[in-house]
Amino acid sequence: MKKVLLIMMVMGTMLFAQSKPGQSRFLVRGYAHSGLEIYKDESSFVGGSFNPIFLWQQSDRLLFEAELEFELENGETHLALEYANMSYILNEYATLRLGKFLLPFGTFAERLHPAWINRLPSRPLGFGHDGVGPARDLGIELRGGLPLGDAKMNYSVYVTNGPSLNDGLNPAIEQEEAGMLLYDNAEDNNKNKAVGGRVGFLPLSNSSMEIGFSGQYAKLGDNESKYEDLAALLYAVDFSYVSRVSFLNGVIDVKGQLNGVNVDNADYFNVEDSSMYSFTNNSQSYYAQLSYRPAYVSNDFFKDLEFVGRYSALTFPDGALWESDQTQYAFGVNYWIDWRTVVKLSYQVSDAGGHGNEGEEAGESTDAILLHWSFGF
Amino acid sequence: MKLKRISKYTIVAIFFFAALFVLESCSSKNASAAKPGAVLWGENCIRCHNAPSPAAFSDEQWETITLHMRVRASLTANETEKVVEFLKMAN
Ligand code: HEC
Repeated sequence: MKKVLLIMMVMGTMLFAQSKPGQSRFLVRGYAHSGLEIYKDESSFVGGSFNPIFLWQQSDRLLFEAELEFELENGETHLALEYANMSYILNEYATLRLGKFLLPFGTFAERLHPAWINRLPSRPLGFGHDGVGPARDLGIELRGGLPLGDAKMNYSVYVTNGPSLNDGLNPAIEQEEAGMLLYDNAEDNNKNKAVGGRVGFLPLSNSSMEIGFSGQYAKLGDNESKYEDLAALLYAVDFSYVSRVSFLNGVIDVKGQLNGVNVDNADYFNVEDSSMYSFTNNSQSYYAQLSYRPAYVSNDFFKDLEFVGRYSALTFPDGALWESDQTQYAFGVNYWIDWRTVVKLSYQVSDAGGHGNEGEEAGESTDAILLHWSFGF
Repeated sequence: MKLKRISKYTIVAIFFFAALFVLESCSSKNASAAKPGAVLWGENCIRCHNAPSPAAFSDEQWETITLHMRVRASLTANETEKVVEFLKMAN
């Protein structure tokens, strides 16, 4: 009798289970973009990048996300793993993430870089490849958000492989860039792990404003090398304000971020004259951006337009072979076909600054017209 | 050099505690817990990108997407639950 009951129960559960949709969900999303860029002496269609995003939701608590990037570069297709990680919701206020993830070092890399989110076709100076500060890394992270009375805050703490040092001794990487940090290392070069985090505060009760502070500390050198104990302190401050402004009949969006990297002093080999040299190894970059979209006007064309302006600046250390001081203004007009499909037209003026490397003209400025289209799906 | 670094730490620390202090002194009740899903959607889903309309996705897709956004945007559990209920109701 017991056995029969048991079998009936199991069958019953199976029948019941079959009529339910199932817990596991799989979703493919992503984005693509390309464009036309016109400089003084050249113009080219660029990009042609395609980024599929895969999401597996195994339960209410477990999510796997992965993003691949297919990009055309110099006539070849490059494939990169942007991120691949698992999130596990521990409780209301804490989520554990494991794998390769976009780093909450400021907000640009984690929240604003995708082509359908970035309001301009280009990235701010110092926020792309070879920039100041990391964008993604491999490791483990604890993050979450919590109410603070009328306000809110969010936090993240993580341990990752961390940056390594271009010590100028490896001919396979740019030796004249000795002292620069190399990010996105698939394997760690030493036993030390980078430790970092970010706290964000949303002081207004409608969540329209957020201020964030990020930091990371890492040892850089290869094991048993002369630079083994060399360390870097990286920091970022970010700001965001997005609000409906009724007298402008639209939405105002202000974003900004400052990144800094301070590396301990060290002597490096100078490939140009085979001497040893040293410099104060501090780099910085920042941007400030304002955009306005007249989203609430009655004209159907105007409400899909958006106007944006951005200033960005980048400083690499004085005295390094890669010293540099750059600034850039960018202005743009966007037309939103839907919430994630946009055509962006912009004009930007970049100034290579007073220093410039040898061979480069000091104070050289380059103008560019960029027309990009981004498509999210 | 050392001094410069110390002062940077100090500035960051001062900002941190000033912000905490301001937040502590002006917080009385938990505002976001009392807000309906539609309001939370309007306030939160435009912070990083244009807010998608509820009609953009199906119920099942919204469940996965809001979990994705809960993690990415560090939304609180309460906010996420209300937003997903709203999206599923209004799509
Ligand atoms: C903190 C910034 C942030 C906030 C707040 C935010 N999003 Fe997102 N959202 C993103 C980013 C970044 C992506 C792109 C993901 C990627 O490319 O890795 C994204 C992607 C999406 C997508 C595309 C599908 C996907 O899951 O990637 C949808 C739909 C979406 N968000 C909806 C929402 C909704 C609904 C809300 C409000 C609950 C919201 N977002 C709030 C940053 C944010």
